[in-house]
Amino acid sequence: MAIRDQAPIFGFNEAREDIVRAVISRVTLGTRDPLLALNDAAYHETKRLESSKKSPEEYRELAEWQKLARTVGRMSDGERRQKLAEIVERYGWDVAGNFDPRVFRVSSKLLPPVVTYLLAPRTLARLVRDPRRLVSLEALDDKVRVEGPLEELRELSQHGTAVYVPTHLSNMDSIVFGYALERAGLPPATYGAGKNLFTNPVLSFFMHNLGAYRVDRRIRHNLYKDVLKTYSGVLLERGYHSLFFPGGTRSRSGGVERRLKLGLAGTAVEAYARTLLAERERRIYFVPATINYLITLEAETLIADFLAEAGKGRFIIEDDESTRIGRIANFVRKLFDMQGSVVIRLGHPIDPFGNRVDERCRSYDRRNREVDPSSYVRDTSGKVMLDPARDAQYTRELGDEICKSYLKNTVVMATHLVAAACFERLRRASPAGDLFTVLRQRDVVVVPRDDLAADVVKLRDRVNLLADRGEIAIGDFTRRASGGDLVEHAMRAFAGYHPAPVLSPRPEGVSICDTNLLFYYQNRLAAHGLAWDTIAPPGMPPARPPSFEGKDAPRSAVRGGAQ
Amino acid sequence: MTNPSVGIVGGGPWGRALARAACRTGAKVALHSRREAPGDINDLEITDDYARVAAARLIVIAVPSSVARSVLRALGDHLDGAHLVIHGVRGLDPEHLETVSDIVREETPVRRLGALGGPVQANELIEGTPSAMIIGSRFPEVTAAVTRSFQSPSLRVYSTPDLRGLEWASALVGCLAIGVGYAEQAGAGPGLVAALISRGVDEAARIMAAAGCEERTMLGLGGYGDLLASIALEDRPEVVLGKALARKVPLDEAMALAKLRVEAIPLIPRIAQFAEENKVDAGSFRALCDILGGKRPPVVLEKMFAA
Repeated sequence: MAIRDQAPIFGFNEAREDIVRAVISRVTLGTRDPLLALNDAAYHETKRLESSKKSPEEYRELAEWQKLARTVGRMSDGERRQKLAEIVERYGWDVAGNFDPRVFRVSSKLLPPVVTYLLAPRTLARLVRDPRRLVSLEALDDKVRVEGPLEELRELSQHGTAVYVPTHLSNMDSIVFGYALERAGLPPATYGAGKNLFTNPVLSFFMHNLGAYRVDRRIRHNLYKDVLKTYSGVLLERGYHSLFFPGGTRSRSGGVERRLKLGLAGTAVEAYARTLLAERERRIYFVPATINYLITLEAETLIADFLAEAGKGRFIIEDDESTRIGRIANFVRKLFDMQGSVVIRLGHPIDPFGNRVDERCRSYDRRNREVDPSSYVRDTSGKVMLDPARDAQYTRELGDEICKSYLKNTVVMATHLVAAACFERLRRASPAGDLFTVLRQRDVVVVPRDDLAADVVKLRDRVNLLADRGEIAIGDFTRRASGGDLVEHAMRAFAGYHPAPVLSPRPEGVSICDTNLLFYYQNRLAAHGLAWDTIAPPGMPPARPPSFEGKDAPRSAVRGGAQ
Repeated sequence: MTNPSVGIVGGGPWGRALARAACRTGAKVALHSRREAPGDINDLEITDDYARVAAARLIVIAVPSSVARSVLRALGDHLDGAHLVIHGVRGLDPEHLETVSDIVREETPVRRLGALGGPVQANELIEGTPSAMIIGSRFPEVTAAVTRSFQSPSLRVYSTPDLRGLEWASALVGCLAIGVGYAEQAGAGPGLVAALISRGVDEAARIMAAAGCEERTMLGLGGYGDLLASIALEDRPEVVLGKALARKVPLDEAMALAKLRVEAIPLIPRIAQFAEENKVDAGSFRALCDILGGKRPPVVLEKMFAA
């Protein structure tokens, strides 16, 4: 039996009831003040439902919450607890995903054909006549690359529970990442996917059967958050490998995450402590990863949302490219068209306390001394304790470690380099320029091809130097290609997917058209100081260009950042 | 032999003073010292064995910052994730501006860290005269353990979650105290001294913000409070050094007069450089660079108020 078939997720359906029951009892017993919790839930839900476009179902829900808000004050404590349990139970089942191992095997194999079908329905008919080709994943093999210490991670998955924490750019990420795990021979991971994604029939099919549970991001009250956290915690405790996007939402700017929320992933320390308390220690390790795209499915919407100041707090973009099948088909066609257009790069695993772990899930401090991870959750008398305040701090520091790994494992692509080179031209064309004046120069600047190629090569050579020091990653093609080829490659990637031209060829050179999209793609290099950094998170100084003097890698002036 | 509850590393005056304060709360203290016990503290176990210090769960580092790394590396062999490590070391690594807790993270497996700061002076701890200190840590456990082991009727322990801010504030106060000593010796009146202090503190706070700390930490007990205490003290090394420089004593002789290592000397130019890189006005720190270079007061003053 393959390693991945031993993962607990294959027994999920038998355990499902048990898990949901555990969540219900833990949340219900753990809620100190049911009146407060119910009031808070009723308040937020009433507000949300009143402002939403109401369906009959929502009207019914609204009436129920309003009734609760009116009556909760008069209820006895017992009645409140009972009501609380009812609501928690409803949420618990709503969140619990469905995982059918039979469907998993089929659907993970079906991904390429379905994608093919989207491209050209007739090819599927042909494929069906040749079933061997139907179950072959080879079609995607050279388009999607998976890198990293895969051998080590495969071994490790048998000794501990994995928490994959990749960067987040696109709604395609969870599917692409699930596929990458399959390709790398790693067991599948369960994850929380936005409920809105389940409305798209294609995405929904994969979501349900690749181990997703449902997260309704519209529900903002604490009780629901408790259910989600408890649910993901119980899964970790029981050894389900999990996938979280610790950035919280897709990166609107296109930049690599420099500050993390780690909401759900933050349950790992408690989950680990609980396995110790139950005397069934099961270690948990984090695998930071980057998902790198030559082009991003929803680039236009994301960057528009980023630039519209008001949009920054939105969790869900109701109508972006990922809800349109045509755009997905277009995207995938593009992806099929170009080699190495998606690279998933898995970083080195670390424990929840930021220590390196080896392939047997043993932890080592920075001086390579083995350290017992259980010591971090023991108090001064040596007893294992649950302590949310302590765990929050461990998690915050873990977030810093994950961000460092993101930087090292960012894979530079031709589109990023060319966008950064073009954007630098735009910036120079507008000397007084704040970001918005620079962005306004659509179809104004034309760069002679040779000049652009030279700029790109200069930038790429700096990337190569950083890559040699292990501070960023770059694929073989991008590392060696000529400037002309890189420009060509990027232009081909943009053209045909993004509906409006990003860069367009003119007799006198390359005309810079879609400044917003170029901004989006150049932002991928901003955190390294390789592109104009206007997107540093609040309270963090913008990245400065790396220095290349001397042989040794200079360390940055201030390490660690805010703690 | 029962295990100590507090382990202190550093047999100098500061380490001994902290040991004394902890003993006063009834804690059982093991002090790591390479020197023989002078017998000034009863009920104190003095050892040169790191393993013995590590038998305590709360460990206090009180060594000069120049040896912090080697001490922590050796001590780290005896520590695990269950230890709480705090330090009372003033200073930042002058090359990379690492804090001592950054070094603890690198050299030991410990994650639950903290730092001591504030106006309290070694002789106050030894004599038991009332004073206050501050513990900076993100971990409530650490704050609780320090309070338990050090707070007594004669010592009030405050706390802040801004560990990094407290470490930067302590280091920057060390720099500013040189300036205060210098100004006093050069004949500045109370108004001018107050103006210099206020400007210096404000600058330090903005520099700290650029380093990812909270500005208000500099404005509290660990910054302003600490600096005010240093003005009142004739024998504070930084103040002694500043005064000597104002008397045109050359830097190396001034350092000898200060008796203790002044951590601020290599740090001052580095902070001025950091401020420049981060576009923070730092007239006071540039002026301090001049003072160390032996420049004259009027030039210095001009610089201090220039920004």
